[in-house]
Amino acid sequence: MDAAAAAAAAAPPSFPTPKREGPVVCLMIGMAGSGKTTLMQRLNSHLCEHKTGLYCINLDPAVPQCPFAANIDIRDTVKYKEVMSQYNLGPNGAIMTSLNLFATRFDQVLGFLDKRASELSYVLVDTPGQIEAFTWSASGTIITEALSSSFATVVVYVVDVPRSVANPATFMANMLYACSVMYRTRLPLVLALTKTDVMSADTILTWMSDQFEFQKALQSDPSFAHDLTNSMSLVLQEFYRTLRAAPVSALTGEGVEKFFGSVAEAKEEYFDEFLADVERRKKAREEAAKKAEAEQLEKLRHDLASEPKKGPAHARQEEEGEEEEEDAGEDN
Amino acid sequence: MVKYAQLVMGPAGSGKSTYCEAMARHCGSGGPGRRSVHVVNLDPAAEELRYRASIDVRELVRVEEVMQELGLGPNGGLLYAMEYVVQNIEWLAEELGDYDDDYLLVDCPGQVELYSHIPVMKTLVEALVRADYAVVGLYLVDSHFMTDAAKFISGALTCLSAMVRLEVPHLNVLTKMDLQPRLGPDDPRRRDLEAFLDVDVPAITARLREQTGPRMEALNRAMAELLDDYSMVSFVPLDLGDPASLDALLEQCDTMTQWAENQEPRDPHEDARDAADPGDSHDDADAGD
Repeated sequence: MDAAAAAAAAAPPSFPTPKREGPVVCLMIGMAGSGKTTLMQRLNSHLCEHKTGLYCINLDPAVPQCPFAANIDIRDTVKYKEVMSQYNLGPNGAIMTSLNLFATRFDQVLGFLDKRASELSYVLVDTPGQIEAFTWSASGTIITEALSSSFATVVVYVVDVPRSVANPATFMANMLYACSVMYRTRLPLVLALTKTDVMSADTILTWMSDQFEFQKALQSDPSFAHDLTNSMSLVLQEFYRTLRAAPVSALTGEGVEKFFGSVAEAKEEYFDEFLADVERRKKAREEAAKKAEAEQLEKLRHDLASEPKKGPAHARQEEEGEEEEEDAGEDN
Repeated sequence: MVKYAQLVMGPAGSGKSTYCEAMARHCGSGGPGRRSVHVVNLDPAAEELRYRASIDVRELVRVEEVMQELGLGPNGGLLYAMEYVVQNIEWLAEELGDYDDDYLLVDCPGQVELYSHIPVMKTLVEALVRADYAVVGLYLVDSHFMTDAAKFISGALTCLSAMVRLEVPHLNVLTKMDLQPRLGPDDPRRRDLEAFLDVDVPAITARLREQTGPRMEALNRAMAELLDDYSMVSFVPLDLGDPASLDALLEQCDTMTQWAENQEPRDPHEDARDAADPGDSHDDADAGD
């Protein structure tokens, strides 16, 4: 099934529009090994300590142990190992399939959230370990769109400080990817600079504010001979200006308060600058879904009309109409 | 002597193996780009392959087995497997030795982490370059994910993120163009698609401005400049059902690796004979076993 058809098929029923007094959804995205899940654990315990209304969702089907108490866990609905053997898939195919299966029922998740919304301040969503399973999949798109059109949603892009400082080229590649995520989701972005207990984030913050410092660091990296063109560093500079960077240590909890401050600012930004676009996209999706439905009905009508009438058999066929319509959707 | 390899990259589901299969068949079936092609599978987590792999890294290591034996998750399993490949690079070098005169299509794992975050792919590419391979990278992206200007920019940045560390010439390829629903002339998606394939920067910027808020205005302008002076962010459309589309892509790759300059001049009579016997090239391919 192609992405558009999947999106149309799984378009959630209309949920209320996001409210300022409602919770903010944090979509945790980052490269494998960036420390997403550990950060989730820290944020979770911090919010619980402060008795803040919190809801946690785990979307990683392959995580062996979820170190935080998830209110909704994809692993309760989809068993990754079983998907692997049942559909005869490799590890990657199984992650994608698990996420697809979960995405088809995501309207239920929205329903739960909506019921609890008045008592919640934060909804933390952990995404699969391999970044592309979420950022380059139809189901990731469906889930992101469903959440962001119902609640204030910000992307928390997690970057590991020690690895970035040790290797400026890696940091650059990571930032290009983060920028790519921002263009895909068209949502406000908070950069969580993690593992600051191992190494301070100052170097990164300097690179982000002073491109000459960054160029200098790049040139000192012997494994990287690439000439960073001016236009590329200009893109990165402008990208940094659109986001908030929050150094944070999941181990000691240092910086967590400030991190939530950045999230709160990004939430305001969502309402002031992003919501109009989110609603425009939602409307376009609903119209496309309606159009696809009308076309399929028309096709069905046509098929039925061209079928020769055979008395009782014909009556049975009309009953099965709904099923046929679904099949038609998958063929496209 | 220069040898040639295409690295086929892209996220899961972007059509890497399908492309390898189609291109291998295309190159074996005559035409201007005719050559002896072998496909190398470099993804230790690959499922069933659509092509007959001349070299299959899964003979060395399989992610599923690593996961089982070491009790790792899919992430840890993949990392372990790829690092194992790097440690056993002689295995790869030895296998490659059998295909010295052939054009290689290398089906790579998709996870972007392997390109930018952990430099295993960089190490493997360096090994190829050291072994005298002229390498061209193809980054495949499913055209169904590229439905508006913002998503195009997103796709271009994803490619850039993976390629910026590999430092080999590369092309971004928009796959599954044949599966695109027929878009009407007034469909905004069609306008977006055309603007992007032609790198029509003013049109792209105008569409971006409609899609994003004031906060991203300056970033959009910077992106426009990047598009203007960086061919790395443009895309080649690919329709596997259309031989002309495959030829066009192959030609671009050949320009980048200067393939034609290093070919023996061909005897036109031999060409005619080969064309009359299409099975010939296939036999050649099998002889490598």
